[in-house]
Amino acid sequence: MADTTTNPAQPPNSADSEQQRSRFGVDLLSIISLYGVFITLVACIVIFSVLDSRFIEIDNLRTQLGLAAPLLMLSLGLTVVLAMDDFDLSIAGTLSASAAVIVVLIVNHDWPWGFAVLAGMLFGLLIGAINGLLVSYVGMPSFITTLATFLILLGVEYTVSDGRNITGRADMPDLYRDLGIGKPEPWTEFTSPVWIAAGLAIILWLLMSKTEIGRYMYAIGGNPEAARLSGINVKALRAAGFVVVGLMAVFAAVSQTARTASSIPRVGISLLLSSYAAAFLGAAASRQGLFNVPGTVLGVIFLQAVQSGLTILGYDRDILDISRGSILILAMLLTAVGARRR
Amino acid sequence: MTVTAPATQAPLLEIAKVTKRYPGVVAVDDVTLSLEAGQIVGLVGKNGAGKSTLIKIVAGAERADEGYLKLNGEPLELHRPHDATVAGLAFVHQDLQDVGSLSVAENVRLGLGYPRKLGLFVDWSKLRRLAAEPIARLEADIDPREPVGELSVAKQRLVMIARGLAQRAQLLVLDEPSASLTDEEIEHLFAVVRRLRDDGITVVYVSHRLEEIFELTERVIVMRNGQLVADEPTASLDRTSLITHITGHEHAQTATERRASRGVGGRPPTEVVLEVDGVSADTGVNNCSFDVRKGEILGLGGLVGSGRTEMVRAVFGADHRQEGTVRMHGQEVQGNHPSGSMSAGLALLPEERKTQGNIMDFSVRNNITLASLDRHRMRPRVPAPLPRSEKQAADRRIDRLSIATPHDRQLVRLLSGGNQQKVVIAKWLEQGADVLIFDEPTIGVDVDGKEEIYDIMEELAAEGKAVVFISSEFSELVGVCQRVLVLHEGRIVGELEGDEVTEPAIVEICYSQG
Repeated sequence: MADTTTNPAQPPNSADSEQQRSRFGVDLLSIISLYGVFITLVACIVIFSVLDSRFIEIDNLRTQLGLAAPLLMLSLGLTVVLAMDDFDLSIAGTLSASAAVIVVLIVNHDWPWGFAVLAGMLFGLLIGAINGLLVSYVGMPSFITTLATFLILLGVEYTVSDGRNITGRADMPDLYRDLGIGKPEPWTEFTSPVWIAAGLAIILWLLMSKTEIGRYMYAIGGNPEAARLSGINVKALRAAGFVVVGLMAVFAAVSQTARTASSIPRVGISLLLSSYAAAFLGAAASRQGLFNVPGTVLGVIFLQAVQSGLTILGYDRDILDISRGSILILAMLLTAVGARRR
Repeated sequence: MTVTAPATQAPLLEIAKVTKRYPGVVAVDDVTLSLEAGQIVGLVGKNGAGKSTLIKIVAGAERADEGYLKLNGEPLELHRPHDATVAGLAFVHQDLQDVGSLSVAENVRLGLGYPRKLGLFVDWSKLRRLAAEPIARLEADIDPREPVGELSVAKQRLVMIARGLAQRAQLLVLDEPSASLTDEEIEHLFAVVRRLRDDGITVVYVSHRLEEIFELTERVIVMRNGQLVADEPTASLDRTSLITHITGHEHAQTATERRASRGVGGRPPTEVVLEVDGVSADTGVNNCSFDVRKGEILGLGGLVGSGRTEMVRAVFGADHRQEGTVRMHGQEVQGNHPSGSMSAGLALLPEERKTQGNIMDFSVRNNITLASLDRHRMRPRVPAPLPRSEKQAADRRIDRLSIATPHDRQLVRLLSGGNQQKVVIAKWLEQGADVLIFDEPTIGVDVDGKEEIYDIMEELAAEGKAVVFISSEFSELVGVCQRVLVLHEGRIVGELEGDEVTEPAIVEICYSQG
């Protein structure tokens, strides 16, 4: 029926009304909700730096970015499926299992690291294809389907690694290890995973926000039936999303195992929740509440900054988890307030 | 809940000097009116005239900036929707607000509390008895145990009315209650409304279908640009004067007059663009064959549920075609899916614009270019759309179709129904199909908006494209179509051409089928 917000006689000009409201200072809340994540990040950085200057030293920055690289890769993949309104819980399983596969191949079977990584990639591709097939073509709900593949993958990881840490600092090929911890690239201050993560972020940012494919993905997230009737191949794109996230999980696995030179059982699980937190923080930071690559990058930096700051200040893991959870709730709260304002 | 009527016969509901402003718009502008008990009152006006805002204020969902309400002479303060329910005001919205997975009984008593056993467990048999009573008053054949989601739209509306009765409503507001109802269901609805009126309940009936207003109501309230422009007994109005009130200008032409004045009745063109041969689908479409000719507007008539939507969906590949072929320009359409049909030059503008037509959270611009994004590439081989080129295309369509939007980046969700429909049309005009199938494009669109949509279809036909037009209002088909096919139970049962196209002729075919 009638929609009074767009009376043709007097089309409301949102820009005007926004200006009006902020001039009267009433609209502080919606500014906070829009830039809330960003403002909080800056505030955290300032506070941590004042409390302990080690926080802003370049060494710490280098370390933190190295630590954040796997999380970023995982969160980027997740952003792609979330944009299409799908969930993927199996990413943690793919990460753990492919990490175990790669390290076992290198350490126990003397594979050259390049081949081991390639095998890991094929593994991730396969998992993504299976998820995509089940969700997109068979039509199963993504949440429960990927929960199931997640459980299977944890079993696979356990079988491959025997449930033990596979450490191979000595056996790890230098090149592979150098990917993660080795000397920083001669021309930069950062290790290669940071650069790889940054490169992947740029590629996915271009894909999501600048290409036809990206537009179609957001269309699917908005209304899959309307997208299909507009000639978009919804099934193929949704399936492709799961393949992308599978590959990104393997990238994360490679960065993670190269950094620690080992495969730690269940390594993915701690990253699972953080990656969702990062993606949702990113959506909260965007004007329309959409999952987006720059937002996800911001979310990852945010989580890593908080973790680093609290660690430097000597807080324990429990405080860390509590604060990360609280931050996520806060961000959601700001988004909810913002959505009501919009 | 039961309000004893004061000695002085105060009106049931008084709305006094109510004004509601939104940023940039006065949605309701100093409206004063009063409703007596036991009346059927029509509320009409164009999209955006302020009807829904007024209803929201009475429902307690919005607060008026100025003015006050009185119920049975007592001041009425509504702070939230529940206050309106308690006061005996019930609302049945167009998009049904029932809980589909719950049973009829649970929906009827929703918000009223369920009877308990031992103070804790729901007393199901008592709940069903309580719910059965208002349903019986509606003489509806509905099992209180059935999940509401499995009922027909008509029955779901009756369940919502029953909820109002269970709340002992004194005032019942029905918003476009006849949308997607069959003729028989509408008759039953009318009978129900009249019986409620006889029981002393006041019914406010909101509709764009003026025939219904004349058939059912005793009094008509017309809103335009937020103001109350007419409040008269229905008997004192005719179609022309009512339309003049609604639109603010002289604007009355019957379908037959339109047909004559536009020369619609001439011989249809002969060059065939779309040939449909023996199409069947498991949605009930049964061996349909027809062709569509260049430069014509072909109407698809039939009762609600006759399979028109299903047939065009099967032709377009939105539903899987089990049998039959579709040829465009003599070539068989490849692929049993929308994108195949689109590359062949076929477009479907679906019936449900909210759920199928638009991406509601996309901007106007992004919706308009969605089906033709590859035309805005920076370079032919780089699949990245150029925003500037998209903006130009969108602005052109916004201008040509006079889509009322502040700018091309406005979210479609924020537009009125008629303008959302225009965005769907713009998307397919941009896409540049040769045959465009419009499925009920005028539902929920006001008089002026309908006329604009007819103009668009006629322009397309004049440009040498072909249009297929589905409408449940047969007068529309008579007004614009050279040829009309009539469907019944998924089959094509009649074809009318030229002078044969009249409303009685279409109705005759519809009802002469077993």
